Amino acid sequence: MTIIALILSILLGTASLATGYLQAGAIDYPRWFLLLAGLWLIAHFRKWYWFSSAALLMMILAAAYGVWHGFSTVWMLLGVVGGLLGWDLSDFARRLSYAAPLDDTRSMERLHLGRVAIVAALGLGLALLSVFIRFQRLAFEVAVGLVLLAALGLTRLVIGLRK
Amino acid sequence: MSRSLLLSLLTYGLLFAGIATVHGEFLALALPLVTYLLLGYLQAPEKIRLEAARQLSAERASPNSNVDVTLTVTNRGSNLEEVLLEDILPSGLTIRSDPAPPLRTSRHLVRLAKGESYTFAYTVSGPRGGYVFEALEAQVNDHLAVRRSRVRVEAQGRLFILPPVTRLRHIAIRPRRTRVYAGMIPARAGGTGTEFFGVREYQPGDSPHSINWRASAHYTDTLYANEYQQERVADVGIVLDGRLRTNEFARGHSLFEYSVQAAASIADALLSQGNRVGLLLYASYLGWTLPGYGKIQRERILHALANAQTGDSEVFSDLEHIPTRLFPPESQIVFVSPLTDDDLKPLIQLRAQGYDVLVVSPNPVKFELSYLPSSNPGIDLAGRVIHMERLLLLQRLQRANIHVLDWDVREPFDVLVKRKLGRSPVWLRAIGR
Repeated sequence: MTIIALILSILLGTASLATGYLQAGAIDYPRWFLLLAGLWLIAHFRKWYWFSSAALLMMILAAAYGVWHGFSTVWMLLGVVGGLLGWDLSDFARRLSYAAPLDDTRSMERLHLGRVAIVAALGLGLALLSVFIRFQRLAFEVAVGLVLLAALGLTRLVIGLRK
Repeated sequence: MSRSLLLSLLTYGLLFAGIATVHGEFLALALPLVTYLLLGYLQAPEKIRLEAARQLSAERASPNSNVDVTLTVTNRGSNLEEVLLEDILPSGLTIRSDPAPPLRTSRHLVRLAKGESYTFAYTVSGPRGGYVFEALEAQVNDHLAVRRSRVRVEAQGRLFILPPVTRLRHIAIRPRRTRVYAGMIPARAGGTGTEFFGVREYQPGDSPHSINWRASAHYTDTLYANEYQQERVADVGIVLDGRLRTNEFARGHSLFEYSVQAAASIADALLSQGNRVGLLLYASYLGWTLPGYGKIQRERILHALANAQTGDSEVFSDLEHIPTRLFPPESQIVFVSPLTDDDLKPLIQLRAQGYDVLVVSPNPVKFELSYLPSSNPGIDLAGRVIHMERLLLLQRLQRANIHVLDWDVREPFDVLVKRKLGRSPVWLRAIGR
């Protein structure tokens, strides 16, 4: 179950990025995303678990590059979400490999996939909301201030939760 | 790099990229990561409090026999979504994987609700040794594994894998001095017993059965009575040679296990006879087990032997430093060692000090030849030369009135002891053999 979800996530992420790049006319890049997807899957089955972090980084950089060049934000967002899911499921599959044969991994898999789906949906929903809702009258200085405030708040929240 | 750190760095990277480039879409890209981080932290367990209890199917076992380890882990804290439990095995022990299902391992991935317990079991085996189980490791994380905590959960347990003990019927030793209690060692003193000791003048109070009529017939004025040899317990010090240079051979072969087995069997037999037995391990250090009697002493010695290891030390490289003051004067010393040429002088000195010395020597020459290729003429010749040197060494020891048991380890130890140290049958003794 987890492996199928992992494969689908990787394909979702890379295919979204490839589509976004293709739509923008960057026809040389999609093959690299397909190569990344293939490498990621090979790395997972060969138990090179570190590769998933590198792949996530690459996908986020690719999405950021696409956003910078004005490619479709939705496809880029889907790429990030796919990469995030792939990264999470790859680590979860690694953790499951430590389980003993008689451990009840089925219910853990179901629970995890459910939670991750909620996280992905929530993240994607919020991101799409932020893309489509725009305040035209907000000055740049105010926006920067809000972002800094958000970053500070986020940091405080994380520190608080860690405690 | 931890998962939360990686996600945080990526998030901040996107936030600052958004600020620097004045592109709101960068912030949108960061939102799924932020959601993931926040939900991960929100789901993190509040309080991790695990307790564990360990049960072993046996606390004493023989080498390579199976011992079941059962662990029960109870969650006394908040709900734990994902706990990876792994028992920390003492080095030397291995998990026996039974090919038939269910497979039993020391690592389990479980969910533990508040107050819930989880029990798992697995089977271990290992070579001789003393093993201490201290704790198991639990890796606790939320479902998204944003926060990971590792905790050690104390679960004590001890397992002694004792050396094999061969039952020996009787070990005939004759130290000069014995203790006052009745035992099985001939005491070089007349009194009550079973073995004939001598004839003396009949004393009032002697049993009429003890009168030696043949001797009394020679003299008309007095009667003579038989005297029997007293049998008492003795002090025995077993010295186990654990020096690396005498026990270890090429390709990882070692005679030490045989030496340990011999020491354990001898200690068991001598304690069964009621003697007071102590053990000295002579290796990189001196491991002294105080002398004592009975079953408790047997346990002490077996535990000491379970932990005995070979070792190398400049100080104890030869036998000059055997602390003789640990052994009562004129007592019995049993020295278990493959022997080297340098050992001759210290052993003769021990004998000269009045100790009765018995050397049990696993034969290193035959041991080495048993695994070397026999077709090689060079090895054959070298083996013969070394064998002659060893024979010479053993002869010198015997000439110094040291009893030597040369043990070819392919032969069972009890067979050798029965042949060399066993009590001969009465009819054989009667004809003086």
